[in-house]
Amino acid sequence: MRPEIADLQAAMERLGYIADPAIATALFLAREMRRPLLIEGDAGVGKTEIAKVLARLMETELIRLQCYEGLDVSTSLYEWNYQRQMLRLRLAEQEGPLKKTAGEIEDLIFGRDYLLERPLLRAITRKEGPAVLLIDEIDRADDGFEAFLLEVLSDFQVTIPELGTIRAEHIPYVILTSNRTREIGDALRRRCLYLYIEHPSLEKEIRILHARVPGASARLTEEIGRFMQALRSRRLSKAPGVAETIDWAQALLRLHSDHLDRETVEQTLGCILKDHNDLREMGGGALDAVLTVAVG
Amino acid sequence: MKSEGLVDHLAHFARALRQRGVRVSLSDEADGLAALTLIDLGDRTETRLGLRSALKIRPRDAAVFEELFAVLWSAQGEAQPAPPRHSVAGPSVPRARSLPAGWPGPAAESEAPAPGEEPGYSPDAVLRRKSFEDWTPTDLEEMERLVSRLAVRLATRPSRRKVPVRGRGEPDLRRSFRRVISQGGEILTLARRARPIEEPRLVTLCDTSGSMDPHTRFLLTFVLALRRVTRSQRASEVFAFNTALVRLTPSLRSVRPGQVARTLDLLASAVPDWSGGTKIGESLDTFVKYYLDELVNGKTVVLIVSDGLDRGDVEPLAAAMRAIRARARRVLWLNPLAGDARYEPTARAMAAALPHIDRLLPAHNLESLERLLPFLAV
Repeated sequence: MRPEIADLQAAMERLGYIADPAIATALFLAREMRRPLLIEGDAGVGKTEIAKVLARLMETELIRLQCYEGLDVSTSLYEWNYQRQMLRLRLAEQEGPLKKTAGEIEDLIFGRDYLLERPLLRAITRKEGPAVLLIDEIDRADDGFEAFLLEVLSDFQVTIPELGTIRAEHIPYVILTSNRTREIGDALRRRCLYLYIEHPSLEKEIRILHARVPGASARLTEEIGRFMQALRSRRLSKAPGVAETIDWAQALLRLHSDHLDRETVEQTLGCILKDHNDLREMGGGALDAVLTVAVG
Repeated sequence: MKSEGLVDHLAHFARALRQRGVRVSLSDEADGLAALTLIDLGDRTETRLGLRSALKIRPRDAAVFEELFAVLWSAQGEAQPAPPRHSVAGPSVPRARSLPAGWPGPAAESEAPAPGEEPGYSPDAVLRRKSFEDWTPTDLEEMERLVSRLAVRLATRPSRRKVPVRGRGEPDLRRSFRRVISQGGEILTLARRARPIEEPRLVTLCDTSGSMDPHTRFLLTFVLALRRVTRSQRASEVFAFNTALVRLTPSLRSVRPGQVARTLDLLASAVPDWSGGTKIGESLDTFVKYYLDELVNGKTVVLIVSDGLDRGDVEPLAAAMRAIRARARRVLWLNPLAGDARYEPTARAMAAALPHIDRLLPAHNLESLERLLPFLAV
């Protein structure tokens, strides 16, 4: 293994993120090749967390763009501060009759002072070194936005008609995440390196619990780990991720549990199963079966 | 020297992946090469992980990747002498096949009218009631024309995104103010924006097993015609299944109108085991595992075309149908057998799927397909 990759893995672990070799390798390559990293996987497997850890690791700012249907240039890239521009125009009028050419008026109100920077623009204009740009849940944005994003991520420059072209001061580290609710276009996928995160193995999940919920007893941690593994092997409509595991462990800790028993598990099952059908399915015999595996 | 060997080796590996249906482009290969120069080639795991990331291997292609990597990639990172081609292709590569027997191809039989056909209607009306078993190649073209006309009726819903419009719509400040400049600082007219109309997304899963043979060709023609008339073809996906699931969408990119017969032949050769047995449950399970999340959402109508004749275990089928139903806007099942008034959905597979579908519709003639259209609307 390249020492840099091992170092990266260890550094992430020090910050509380247990990365397996697949994650460390992909992140290392993305950083070295200066390419965006597209991360896919079920909800709650720790996709977004990678960007946060990377930002702390690089000791830089995390700039986040949360995607949603209908996201457009004015909320992702830039917007003119219309109120301020309007005010400026009126003030200029009051100073005297407006005997200015169109060009002069433009110069008056289309300056950087009147520009509202949205996440994408902020990420490429940051002066203090490269930022980490997290484009979260890209699958929620529509095709049109994806095409636009592709352009930004290819050239790291944007053109604002009134101002001209703005080039990136530093090329940011870009992380894109997707819950796969829509297929990401081939063009964007090719632009990126790719990482698919699976649900963690038992050993990895226990290490994550140790790191994130240090107060839990060794026995509880191990039982939770085995319970989650057994649970995910069943046919669920929404398999719980590590995020749920951590929530659940914290809930159990608050209830002063040091092991799993049927009553507590039943009361707290809502922490990990968030689908009505799954909850119903796990009632009765199914729960006992999973518990038996977990407690042994 | 060494890096040259690496290039060859990688190209060879990528070609093997492509032969097994994994989409690896040239730019992916270039990324793969760049990645290989950055990692420890002596570490087999690291090489494997690096290539997976740089070649963008999706979960659905992971098994093929792992298999080929194990066979083709040497531990030292030294270029291996290229193995003979046939070992690359592997046993599961679908080969181009001649048309299956029983395939109602261009040479197929006469134009004998169907027994129950009623005279005295316009050609359209006759065509609409003609059972698919009695169709001729000329009818196929006629059908294309008809479907295009029908499909215009597909209703639509407004998008959430907004686009510039004239006339009505909410004021668009950004464009309004841009206009102000050319009008000397005065707002004369407001620019407006509104939501554009969205078309339904359609995912079709078509059974191509032997028992469906008399119908497959016509049903696929219908599906293809439907696909062509929806403006955004990206939104419509076609799969075929019999003993395995095959995504046909990539092969449909270059389809032109009036080439139905050729397209169908092309598809038949792309699908292994066409006219063979059926494993509905397993095929739908594959769909749920690898495609459902990405291709089906609240705007998607899922259309399953099958006679439901499958002697396999029904539990996976029921589970897959439940998962599809939970995500899709609507699940429709087209069954050619349902055209018979005496038909009861008692075949085991059909019975297992029934609780999880919104509509079971007949699909034995064009008239029955016409009745389907309102259900496709979003």
